[in-house]
Amino acid sequence: MSNPYRMLGLVLCLAGGTFAPISYFAIGSVPFTALGLSAIMVGFTCIVLAGARSPVSPEACELMLKTGMQNTAALLEELELRGKAVYLPSTITGGSPRALIPLADNQDILHIRGKIPARLIVRYGSDPGDMAISVTTVGSMNIDLLETRPGPTSGEIEAAAAYILTGVLDIATSVAVRLTDSTVDVEVKGSRLHYEDVWYYRCLGSPIASIVAAISSEALGRPVRIKDEDYSKGKSRIALEVLSS
Amino acid sequence: MRIYNKYVVSLAVVTCLITTILAFLGEQDITVYFTVSVIAYLVITLLYVYFNPRARRTLNTVGVVFFAGFLVVVAMKVVEILSG
Repeated sequence: MSNPYRMLGLVLCLAGGTFAPISYFAIGSVPFTALGLSAIMVGFTCIVLAGARSPVSPEACELMLKTGMQNTAALLEELELRGKAVYLPSTITGGSPRALIPLADNQDILHIRGKIPARLIVRYGSDPGDMAISVTTVGSMNIDLLETRPGPTSGEIEAAAAYILTGVLDIATSVAVRLTDSTVDVEVKGSRLHYEDVWYYRCLGSPIASIVAAISSEALGRPVRIKDEDYSKGKSRIALEVLSS
Repeated sequence: MRIYNKYVVSLAVVTCLITTILAFLGEQDITVYFTVSVIAYLVITLLYVYFNPRARRTLNTVGVVFFAGFLVVVAMKVVEILSG
């Protein structure tokens, strides 16, 4: 009974179920009977909606997200990795999408050569110094939630991002995407997970930026890097750089 | 849960509006109220395309139940017209 939707649904069904027959048979008012029927309809919908909620509590989900992020943050800090992560599509990794963080200081990943194996330390280019660590991010995990892979247009990327952020995860109210040749500008309104100036976010971006980057990378079939991210007046602005594969 | 809240509130507001408008128009047939409310339910549910797959599945099931009720009402009206 802790689910508020189930509670609301039961109250509405009970109230409507009592009110409708009284209105119809005792009072003889059709509009009041219709009001009772409407209450039953909305109540029934609420009861059904209560079953669609995840059985895992939001607190448990937050705990698991923080644990994963802190483990990755500890790895990044221990290895002193400061480079910006590059989000790879599943066509390059050969499995689920992942993010690469260059091991060398002040080195940006500009080209990815060949398939990247699903290991922690990987080689991404022909040069001996082209080494990086490959990690699974929040964004990588969300690709599995999409029913179909989005196409390489701003409309399809926007629809996929809105589906994940507003529908499935419910951590934003709207998403707008603007796509040019080498950049993807994303504006997320009403986001509930903001950017913080911490090591993990500087490398891999905030969870929202990570999700948008993974979706964009998967849609375009090319590696993507989070170039810039800021939050002001209830809006998150994320600038993604599309790299050549 | 903001998207679910919005959905429930919009359903409640629209069904109340429909009842009020039809009452002002002097409608005395309960099946008219029911039919218009079912159509409103189907349209609003269709507009919330960003629900997660589980919620969408369950709401579609409810939609099928309401639509079946709508068909029963239509069938009753057809029989009523045919029988004179």
